[in-house]
Amino acid sequence: MTAKCSGVVPGAEADRRPSPGTATLQGRGIRAGYKEDDVLHGIDFELHAGEVLGVVGPNGCGKSTLLRAITGLLPLRGGEVTIGGERLENLPAMERARRCAVQPQIEAPLFDYTVGQFALLGRHPHRGALAPATNEDRAAVERAMDDADLAPLATRSIRSLSTGEWQRALLARALAQDAPILLLDEPAAHLDPGHRFAVHVLLRRLARERRRAVLCVSHDLNLAAEFCDRLMILSEGRVRALGKPEEVLIAENLQAVFRCDALRVMTNPFTGRPGTVFAP
Amino acid sequence: MNAPLRLGLLAAAAVAVVVAAICIGPTQLLDLPRLLELMRSGPASPELERAQLVLWELRLPRVLLAAAAGINLALGGLLLQAIFRNPLAEPYLLGLSSGGALGAVLALSAGITIVTWPALFGSLLVATIVLLLCRRKIAADLPSLLLAGVALGALAQAFTTAIILRFDPGALRSILFWLMGSFAGRGWAEVGMLAPAAVLGIILVLILHRPLDLIALGGESAHHLGVRVRLLQLGGIVLAAVLAALTVAACGTIGFVGLMAPHLARRLAGAPHGVSIPATALLGVILTVGADLAARTILAGTELPVGVITGAFGCVFFLALLAKRN
Repeated sequence: MTAKCSGVVPGAEADRRPSPGTATLQGRGIRAGYKEDDVLHGIDFELHAGEVLGVVGPNGCGKSTLLRAITGLLPLRGGEVTIGGERLENLPAMERARRCAVQPQIEAPLFDYTVGQFALLGRHPHRGALAPATNEDRAAVERAMDDADLAPLATRSIRSLSTGEWQRALLARALAQDAPILLLDEPAAHLDPGHRFAVHVLLRRLARERRRAVLCVSHDLNLAAEFCDRLMILSEGRVRALGKPEEVLIAENLQAVFRCDALRVMTNPFTGRPGTVFAP
Repeated sequence: MNAPLRLGLLAAAAVAVVVAAICIGPTQLLDLPRLLELMRSGPASPELERAQLVLWELRLPRVLLAAAAGINLALGGLLLQAIFRNPLAEPYLLGLSSGGALGAVLALSAGITIVTWPALFGSLLVATIVLLLCRRKIAADLPSLLLAGVALGALAQAFTTAIILRFDPGALRSILFWLMGSFAGRGWAEVGMLAPAAVLGIILVLILHRPLDLIALGGESAHHLGVRVRLLQLGGIVLAAVLAALTVAACGTIGFVGLMAPHLARRLAGAPHGVSIPATALLGVILTVGADLAARTILAGTELPVGVITGAFGCVFFLALLAKRN
């Protein structure tokens, strides 16, 4: 996030680590839910190394439930999830964490860790139970803190942060995890416009330069359309549309999903990408 | 000030409290020149023999027992606070200690004098109920988990009282004194049980230090970082219950050490469990050995149960924490 608002960042540091074979996430016929009700009724998708996939849809359409299902927090009632070719339920917890990092929605912090100590916890899947932090761990944390624009706050207590800063700390911890797959649940929800933009620039850079496979749940249709390679529109637990932003972000889909007449599609005159505006 | 230095200062404070507790008492062992003179004047001096007897048979086992109990209770509190993400959890407030006491008293009433296993059973039973209430979302949030624990503890205490009222008056007095928590009249046998448990407890909790960091900061993200959350919760509460039960069997119910030690440790040494675990153990020693020293010196000629001292301090501490939270 260092290149705030400057748009494209020239890539010098391509990462060698994530091998293409382990970087893909695949879901087939995912069914999941709470109590007796299913929330997801058969979701199919693939996530590839080097791409950013945006997941959008109205409240309660199953976006967060999908994230919970593909990370093993919620048991599958049908279908299957594979991470790097391995079925989710066969992956040991630590191996899953090495392959797939998640930025969750805001959770209230309990104790007074510093931001640096907190981000270092992202290295847990790479460390032995009593192993001290290695140089590699420290380098990954430093890079993650820089990417999340948190380096100046490294020694602050996490309980003294603003909501937006805390959300960036959660991002930094997920980045420090250094996994080939990165899943984010509304990573920009509490951020100011500058940081919101910068997070999306960062996500695209992670995909392009470090070959990460990035899946981002978002409520911001414009930023999602601008920065995601593909969009998945969810509606009532089903995939309404999945494809390039200009293919799926069309009036017919938005009308059917969001049920809001005032929501109109237009083209961003600066980038040529689709976007939405309200015309009340 | 960095973490190793802070831990070093805490360790020095713990050693100072332990040495003071060994030396102070009706038979003063502090007067080193006098002791050396006695040793030089020959081995048969009755004063020296008496000092040796006091040191080896009374003070040392008592102080070591208090230290081990303090470590066990403090570690129990630290575990419960992390796995339930509840800064007010501790073995006594969640009813684990009272469950152990009920098990022990039931065994005594049946004529069984080895109370360790019954205490373990009682503590683990309460632990199981607490965990189930939490999993079923009946007592998942901070206040309801505490209330459920306090209610279970009150129930166990009511049964305990009903049972001990049937003992004869002589036995009743000593059982009451034990129930209130006391290191008086214990010996090396109890130390032999509690000290290895404390050492093992420190090792196990240290191995779990990073999973405890992660679970304390959020159950879902702990899962995403490779922690098996339910297994850790189960293991944590079982370990806390075992440590509490052994402590109850050896020296009765001592409340609030498990609340105070982890809080002070995080304040003085830092929040990450890598440093707060050793700090918590040291503070468990300082608080419990210090409370025992106070219990046997505050009133001349008589001795208070140590649970009365920790209860008084702990109550004020608990209210102060509540005031700070709100």
